Amino acid sequence: MFQIEIDNLNKHYGGFHALRDVNISIKQGSFVALVGPSGCGKSTLLRTLAGLEKTSSGDVRIAGQSVIGKPPRERDVAMVFQSYALYPHMDVEHNMNYSMRLKRRPKDEIAERTRTAAETLGLSRLLDRLPKALSGGQRQRVAMGRAIVRNPKVFLFDEPLSNLDAALRVHMRSEIRKLHERLNATSVYVTHDQVEAMTMADHVVVMRAGIIEQQGSPLELYDRPANKFVAGFIGSPAMNFLPATAADNGALVLDSDSVRIGFNRDIAAGRQVWIGMRPEHLSLKPGVNDMTIGATVTGIESTGSMTFVVLAVASQPVVLAHAGRPEACKGDQVRLHIALDNLHFFDRETELAA
Amino acid sequence: MKRYVLLVIGLMMTATYLFPLYWMYLTALKGSSEIFQYPPTFWPSDPQWNFLEIWKNRDMGRYIWNSLLIAIGVTILVTMLGTGCAYVLSRVRNVWMEIALFAILMMQVLPSSLMVTPIFVMFNQIGLLASPRIAVILAQTAKVLPLYIVLCRATFVQVPRELEEAALVDGSSRIGAFFRIMLPLARNGILVTSVLIFLQSFGEYVYARSLIAKNELQTATVGLQTFMGPNANDWNGIMTYAAIYVTPILIVFMLLQRRIVSGLTAGALK
Repeated sequence: MFQIEIDNLNKHYGGFHALRDVNISIKQGSFVALVGPSGCGKSTLLRTLAGLEKTSSGDVRIAGQSVIGKPPRERDVAMVFQSYALYPHMDVEHNMNYSMRLKRRPKDEIAERTRTAAETLGLSRLLDRLPKALSGGQRQRVAMGRAIVRNPKVFLFDEPLSNLDAALRVHMRSEIRKLHERLNATSVYVTHDQVEAMTMADHVVVMRAGIIEQQGSPLELYDRPANKFVAGFIGSPAMNFLPATAADNGALVLDSDSVRIGFNRDIAAGRQVWIGMRPEHLSLKPGVNDMTIGATVTGIESTGSMTFVVLAVASQPVVLAHAGRPEACKGDQVRLHIALDNLHFFDRETELAA
Repeated sequence: MKRYVLLVIGLMMTATYLFPLYWMYLTALKGSSEIFQYPPTFWPSDPQWNFLEIWKNRDMGRYIWNSLLIAIGVTILVTMLGTGCAYVLSRVRNVWMEIALFAILMMQVLPSSLMVTPIFVMFNQIGLLASPRIAVILAQTAKVLPLYIVLCRATFVQVPRELEEAALVDGSSRIGAFFRIMLPLARNGILVTSVLIFLQSFGEYVYARSLIAKNELQTATVGLQTFMGPNANDWNGIMTYAAIYVTPILIVFMLLQRRIVSGLTAGALK
């Protein structure tokens, strides 16, 4: 049973086509991340689910019921806003139970559920504070509390962690994920941060310019990107691309460097492609089934546990990642080893995976 | 160094602005011969306390009551009519709203002295002049409503849209969100603007002078005219009257200042 079904959804703002033929089915209890660069339509899609935006055509069903034309309050969804949108004139307790007070639930039920939600989020001692007396992280928790206290059919998150500092963001990531599992909720989570999407979601939807580029499990997107955009967007540091042309004998020739790469896939001779290489599949040491090209080290970034080596391959920047400490210095001429089993190929015109 | 220069300039400008006020209180306290003394004195040599006498003789209680009635009437009417309008103008964004806002701004340009003739003719025809204070309330409402809408709209624009959307998702209707979320958060702006409207209406002159015939119904601004004789003006009386009239307004303004500064929306976002 799908909790949310989106069929051929289209959204126009005047002449601007914000969402084009969006189709997503979301299972009860799953955590879906909508990810993409800013302006890709992910927030519009979320707001459409909430009922804050009208649709132009297509259908949206929540728990089997079409919600097209229904106002937000008839959809039974809860939303956490990027800015938290806490009511500044209400204390934490009243912020959290506003929805239940609107529904005129019995007083003791309201008190009980507010208390439980506050305990879950560690807000019990802050219930009588006004939002302006809270820290950023606490406000974020109140915004979450306002959502979970209602026990809604669907949780919607609109970049809820983007205003937190890095350490708190990583912490809240796992908190939200834990909360999701405990409540057995269905969550839709918008983010521009692909790491957030990869680490939190069961199902990732990559969008660009109102179109779904690819959707699937995080590792599916990582291992088998459908096109160059998804390949470049998922993974950090991003995948490297080098232009190449297919030769007639089942080999590829790098445009820059006339290096031939043995190749066992069927690509017609003369076809121009991008070769995609993940940074962790590159090495400065020889491995099994690899090939080498010359490169110059132009920069080293070390995080202690990981080292990112920025190389120039015939003026094209290429990033290499390896565990441990740097093995080269800036300015070194090195041999770059590329593991052939993990290469990706994209057509240069259509940008689709070849 | 620069700070002191700015401070001195600021003090000089403040002094320039406040001088007429000082002169009003000073003249109210001076005796009638001291008023015309040259060079002028800047502190009354023999202070006169005529306030109670002027209040009684000139029937100021009645005048001020009429002014108050009109000012309260205008303020209530303007807030009831203008708040919703200001909210809509702050939320709906399209060409028609821009035109509407422009038209509202243009309406402010027309001065009362220009509008009073057509208003008089119209009110006379529909018999509104029989209840002249209501006529003044209506005319003054039409005059200050644009100002109220423009100022209130600015306050509503400052209330983040997400708060309203959060209320909608929380299960509120649009009207519910307006009354429970938007209105409390725009309260300061509405309050300040209303007081401004109240004070403007309290000092209204043109409509009261033209639309109110009976002296018992006349306002305090018009009442000030009774000091103007054909041959002599009782300056001491005029300034005493003015002091009584202006002092409560000054107090209201001073009490209000803190309200204007305090931000109620702090903590809504981020």
